[in-house]
Amino acid sequence: MFEKILIANRGEIALRVIRACKELGIRTLAVYSEADVDSLHVQLADESICIGAAPSSESYLKIDRIMSAAEIGDVDAIHPGYGFLAENPHFAEVCESCNIKFIGPSSRAMQAMGDKNSARGFARKAGVPVTPGSDGIVESEQDAVKIAKKIGYPVMIKAAAGGGGHGMRVAHNEPSLMAAFHGARHEAEKAFGNGDVYIEKFILNPHHIEFQIVADSHGHIVHLGERDCSIQRRNQKVIEECPSPLMTPGLRKKMGNIAVKLAKSVGYENAGTIEFLVDQQRHFYFIEMNTRIQVEHTITEEVYGCDLVKEQIRIAAGQPLSPHIAHATPRLHAIQCRINAEDPEKDFQPSPGRIDFYYAPGGHGVRIDSHVYTGYSVPPYYDSMIAKIITVGATRINAIDRMRRALGEYYITGIKTTVPFHAAMMRSAEFRDGNYDTGFVERVMSSGKFELVAPATQLRE
Amino acid sequence: MELKEIKEIKEIIDLMKKNGLSVFEIEKEGFRLKIQRAVPDETTTSAPPAAPSSPKGATIPAEPTRAQRAAAETKALLKDIVSPMVGTFYRAGSPEAGPFVDVGKTVNEDSVVCIIEAMKVMNEIKAETSGVIAEVVAENGKPVQFGQVLFRVR
Repeated sequence: MFEKILIANRGEIALRVIRACKELGIRTLAVYSEADVDSLHVQLADESICIGAAPSSESYLKIDRIMSAAEIGDVDAIHPGYGFLAENPHFAEVCESCNIKFIGPSSRAMQAMGDKNSARGFARKAGVPVTPGSDGIVESEQDAVKIAKKIGYPVMIKAAAGGGGHGMRVAHNEPSLMAAFHGARHEAEKAFGNGDVYIEKFILNPHHIEFQIVADSHGHIVHLGERDCSIQRRNQKVIEECPSPLMTPGLRKKMGNIAVKLAKSVGYENAGTIEFLVDQQRHFYFIEMNTRIQVEHTITEEVYGCDLVKEQIRIAAGQPLSPHIAHATPRLHAIQCRINAEDPEKDFQPSPGRIDFYYAPGGHGVRIDSHVYTGYSVPPYYDSMIAKIITVGATRINAIDRMRRALGEYYITGIKTTVPFHAAMMRSAEFRDGNYDTGFVERVMSSGKFELVAPATQLRE
Repeated sequence: MELKEIKEIKEIIDLMKKNGLSVFEIEKEGFRLKIQRAVPDETTTSAPPAAPSSPKGATIPAEPTRAQRAAAETKALLKDIVSPMVGTFYRAGSPEAGPFVDVGKTVNEDSVVCIIEAMKVMNEIKAETSGVIAEVVAENGKPVQFGQVLFRVR
């Protein structure tokens, strides 16, 4: 087992990893930027080293400084968390060449699944359904018409070099295809200097359902069921739940087996997540694989009764899959709300600054993963998530009502947070019915009937 | 180094000069190159702030002693040389060699003041300021982190 681990991350996930290490008796080394001097992960780690100025590009993304810190700290392994360098194959490679164990998959597996096109290729080879689409770049109008006809409308024309929702157009029928085709190419050329586009089937308001994979270094791979992450705002997940209200035991078995098959085909090791889009008729399509631990790993832990981060460390240390993971079965229902330092009344604009008073809810079935505390200043340089609140219940409605109760006690002053937004979501009839998709948040918020719910308790500070 | 590589590096330096860039860094499999130009007139040349003096006629409750005032004056004039990286601090280029600088040594922007070893690479650290070494703060052979004070310069 490792003696010392360097955590190449910050915020709540750094704290999560430190907690797992402490329980395994492993010493911890935190690296931090100048903006994170007072961060909880720095204070709780056994050792800490400042690696740069506030901007991520000057600190958390500086591979050379992190490896230097690893060398000075004489660590055996590095946990990359999520984001930052967690899915950077070059970083994984550097760790490998320095004989420091990267807690995650090999750089090779990461590379295979990291490239969207490559991942689709592996999926196709493994017989995994992918979103029907063109085999590559669509060069001409005639090709566009032919491909769209084959896939079936509606189709989406997407920039190959694209991202951020740019260079994308939807065409619902052949007459509108040309305008969409040229519009997408023009926008892509302007935004990315590259007008290459490909065509994919457009799935209207799908469910985003992902499967948790855990694989050891001895060839054992299992899945720990699914998470429904359809509740998104501007393509950012805000609420996740396990299991998915859309899932049936038969579909879970089918999708789970396919997820395992795909992970096996690239020789995957450690924790990973396979993402699918599921349409209203329960047809599912592979979209991508995340080769890291995810923000929402927590709800799988609560439902399947396991510690995924500890398991990551064990797997990296060469141990076989723990029996309780290999034979895990789901019980209970879990929901997670991501609490961000944003103002829901002002279009969710970021609200960094000093937290004057912080009281987190507790009680049966409530879990808080957070690095903030009274007096802590949320820095403006990183993502705005300050806490994850997870509730567990015997049934889905139990979990929702428990979340509603807990959010009513979540008292944070000094900055604005999305607590009132989540409280309103827990009261939404459609959400309670399990009747939602990725278009849900936008629909509900623009319906004019959405009202934020401030915490009921006004604690005397 | 191959002639082709030297040519490429020269081209990079020209591009940097033309565009007023001071640092260029590239990292690929098994290869890392960092070029840092000493950009002239980047450090301010204004006079160091004078030690605070009492306004005429005002009374100061506890008059600082001459020694305290001298110390305050010195402190106000000191500039920190901080570590730009994570690594191990060495005062000399090799175990047998003497230290690059000592208290009392005059340095300018380009003076090498120490070595920071990171990942087996010995990096020469420049003063990037001018003056006289007043204090050696970091300890020889000990790890230093980003932003850590190495020397104080008067």
